[in-house]
Order: sequence, then structure tokens, then C-alpha cells
Amino acid sequence: MSAYSLGWHIMKERMSAGRMLVIWPLLAMFILFSSWGLSDPKANLPADLVIDSAYDVMFASTAFIVFSATMGAVLISFDGVSRDRLSGVLEIKLSQPISRSVYARALLIGHWGAIFAPVLLLNIISLGIIWYRLDDLPSIEELFIHTLATGLLLLWYTLIQLLASSWAKDLGSSIAVGLGVWMIFTLLWLVLTTVTAGLFGVGVENLNSAEYIEIEAIMDLFSPNGVYHHLLELPLDDIDRGVSPMIASLAAILWSIIPLQLFIRRIERMIP
Amino acid sequence: MRDFSTWKPWAKRDGPGIHSVNLEIKPGVILGLIGPNGAGKSTLMRAICGLYDSDGFNKSSSSRRFGIGYMPEQVRWEGRVSVRNSLRTIAMMRDKYVDIDDIIRKVGLSSKSENYLDDLSQGMRQRLSLACALLGDPKILVMDEPLNGLDPLAQRAFCNLLKDLASKGVAIVISSHQVTDLETLVDRIALLHHGQLLIEGTLPNVRKKLELDADSGIVEMICSVTGISPEDISLDLSNDDLLPFKQIGVEEE
Repeated sequence: MSAYSLGWHIMKERMSAGRMLVIWPLLAMFILFSSWGLSDPKANLPADLVIDSAYDVMFASTAFIVFSATMGAVLISFDGVSRDRLSGVLEIKLSQPISRSVYARALLIGHWGAIFAPVLLLNIISLGIIWYRLDDLPSIEELFIHTLATGLLLLWYTLIQLLASSWAKDLGSSIAVGLGVWMIFTLLWLVLTTVTAGLFGVGVENLNSAEYIEIEAIMDLFSPNGVYHHLLELPLDDIDRGVSPMIASLAAILWSIIPLQLFIRRIERMIP
Repeated sequence: MRDFSTWKPWAKRDGPGIHSVNLEIKPGVILGLIGPNGAGKSTLMRAICGLYDSDGFNKSSSSRRFGIGYMPEQVRWEGRVSVRNSLRTIAMMRDKYVDIDDIIRKVGLSSKSENYLDDLSQGMRQRLSLACALLGDPKILVMDEPLNGLDPLAQRAFCNLLKDLASKGVAIVISSHQVTDLETLVDRIALLHHGQLLIEGTLPNVRKKLELDADSGIVEMICSVTGISPEDISLDLSNDDLLPFKQIGVEEE
């Protein structure tokens, strides 16, 4: 039994769960409405944001993906391990002959697929919206980078939440850890960045200064959302925050490998 | 007083565990594990099923899992997933073709196969756990309190099914606090106490070793090895009140 076929089965189970009734509208509102709004040529955007191409719209709308899709990953995965553990079903599953590392990978594929598939579908629909509104489409390279980066972002959040779920003794602490991590990276990271900038003697009164942007770019390497934006910036020629594409890619690889290895080890050593 | 030189709040504290267990599981034999609460019956069953990496088995934990079907105690199946789908998920974890419909029919869940897990009664959930244990035609069935939650008719049907499987050569290890059913079902018993196997054999043989009457049951056997008089049994009896260890055939000082 391969991790892919079991993962596919878990994905189908997760996608038919009742919570998808909440996640689908949440994703649709954030992804489709942001594409519609940001592709309006008359839109007056804050921070002198100029949008003049399809990829610019996709880039700007990732701010909404960061809010909605990552929350969806948390909501889908928070009981990925802990519910089975609490109910005793995990004892049955772990007593089966399947290798525990294969089972861990199947869990990851299933939970990640259950959030990535709707996001991918909505992104394809939003491409149609952008084309309708701007009469422009992103290049294949831009589309590939956007899809890959979004897939990786959701993978990291799914991994973090599954790890929390495997550590937690009850569903409450599992979702508390997941939401806590989500809040740190999504809402509080700016505060951490400014505090770090202050500690390094960089003035925080001007957040557009070169020194602050440099600190922010480095700090972003330690956050999944930050690495996501580094990856999305790769096709943009007019953005250079001092982090090379190689460093950004390395950060993405480390963000994928380290939590994955931790999760596999956790499942391998788990006593249900 | 707490000794802070060795105080490690992050360190996991191991339980008393299982030791001194020398047990052979034979084909076609139903072995009953008995003992007071906390004796280590469930831990031993989990170790047999390869859930723990324990020393002393003649096969590794991963290879043991191929031939063993395990039914844990009181699994709370829940969720908006059908019985058939849940069973299919578990079946996918075995490297063998499994006729799910046949298993569903065998455990009497045919009429509930499309029901959600949330809609199942406790008895139906027990049947589903049994179905999981029967997946892949295991050579050894390990069952922890399988009769809990079953109505008397289902209990009888369950015992009949186990006898039928044993007659086909399946080795069965079962623990149950429903001693009357257990006495009529098992071929041999193994008495555990404080993680140790104190005595193992057929019921008459065990009675003889413990110097008990021919009509004495499992309760008397437990009392005999734990040092409690059957008249003194009460719910406030803590584990510390039980004798730590009494080795059969060895004179106590």
C-alpha cells in the first residue's frame, strides 16, 4: 500500500467532512472576491500599490490566501491524529502492518490535499475572473511559481498542525497550538519583526527604510508566510529585498523537510 | 522532599510495565488473560500486537503486525464517515485483498454498512472493532474486553464466532471481566498481576496449582494470587493493598 493511495482515500474522507461547509465559503469569499476586487482597474489600493498585470493581482491576492487557506489547513488538520488517538481508533490503525512512516506520509498527503484541492480550484476560477476583468493572464512560469508556493505554504501549515495534533492529549490543546502558531505567523510576526529591528538598532518609525526592509526579509525566512512571499517575489523584477532566490528556495526546502521528519519520527515512536 | 538534583519535569515517567512473562500462543487455542485492574493485561496485548517495541518476542513488532488482528477496548468510532468507508481505510493498511462485504456480513453489520459512525450504538461499534480485527484473516486474534457493550444475544454470537475461528486454527488471546462468559469460552488462562505472569494453564490445572476447589472460578483465582480474601473485596481496595508479588510454588519468607 503506497502513501499516495491511502492519502487519496484520507483526502476524500476529509473533503466530505462537515467542516468543509465552513471552509469552502471562507475560501471562496477570500480568493474569488479578492481577485475580483484587485483586478478592478479603478480600484484605489493602499500603500501606493500599483497593479497592472495578472500576476500583480495574483500576488496581491495572496494576502487573502494567507488568511483563509492557512486557517483552512488548521481547521482540517487539528484533529488529524488526536481524534483517532482519543477515540482508540489509532490503536487499531497502528496495529496494522503498514509502515508507520508510510502512514505518516499518507496522513500528510490526505490532509494537505483536502485543503490544496479547493484552493487550486478557486485559483483557477480566479484566473478566469482576472482574464475577464484585465484581459491578461500570467505566464506559465508565474503560474507555476504561484501554485508551487501556495502548495508549499499549505503543506507547512498542515505539517505544523498535524504535529500539534500528534502531541496534543486532547482536541482543545491541539487547536489551541494550531491557532497560536497561525496567529504568531499571520498576525504577530510584524510585531516580532519590529522588535527585532529595534534590538538591532534599526529605526522602526519608517517601515520603508532600506535597513528595515533588509531585517524584515531575513525575519521572513523564519516564518512560513514570509518564505511564501519570498517565493512569490521570484518572478517580480522590481522587488529586491536582499535575499537571493537560492536562500529563499533553501528556506522553503528546510521548512518542508524539518517538520516532515519531525512528524514521521513522531508517528513512528507514538504510543497510542 | 523532592530531590531537585534528579528532578526532570520534561522527562517521561515509565509505568510499571510488563516483565517476567513467558507465554506461548498456540494455534486453535483460546487463551484468557485475567488479573485485577492495572495488572498489565492491556499493555501485554498491545505489546503482542506490535504497538510497543518490546524485548523478548521471537518476531519484530512490524512482522508481528502482519498476522495479528487486534480489537482494543471500547473504541469510540465517531464522525460523518460510513461504516464501510471506515473499514475500507483500515483494510487499505493491510497488504492483502480484503472482502469487506464478507467481513461486514460476518459481524452482523450489513444493515448498518452505509450508516455514519455517529449513528452507531455501542454494540455496533464493538462489532466494527471486531470487523477490523478480522481483516486479512489473521492467525492470531487479540481482544481486549470484547464483550463490553454487547447485548446477551450478541455476546453469545460473539463467543460462537470465536469458537468457530479457533476450530479453524486461529489462536485467540482474550481479556474480559465478564468472568462467567470467559470460563466457558477459554481453553487456557494466564493470570497476570503487577506486570508478571503468575500462572498459566488449563482451568483445572490452575485450580490444582492454586489449591482451589474444583468449582472455584476466576474471582477465587485472582483472590488467591493477590492475597485478598473473597469476603474482603470492596471498591475502595487500592492496588497497594494487593500483594506485590506471589510466585506460585515458592515458599514466602
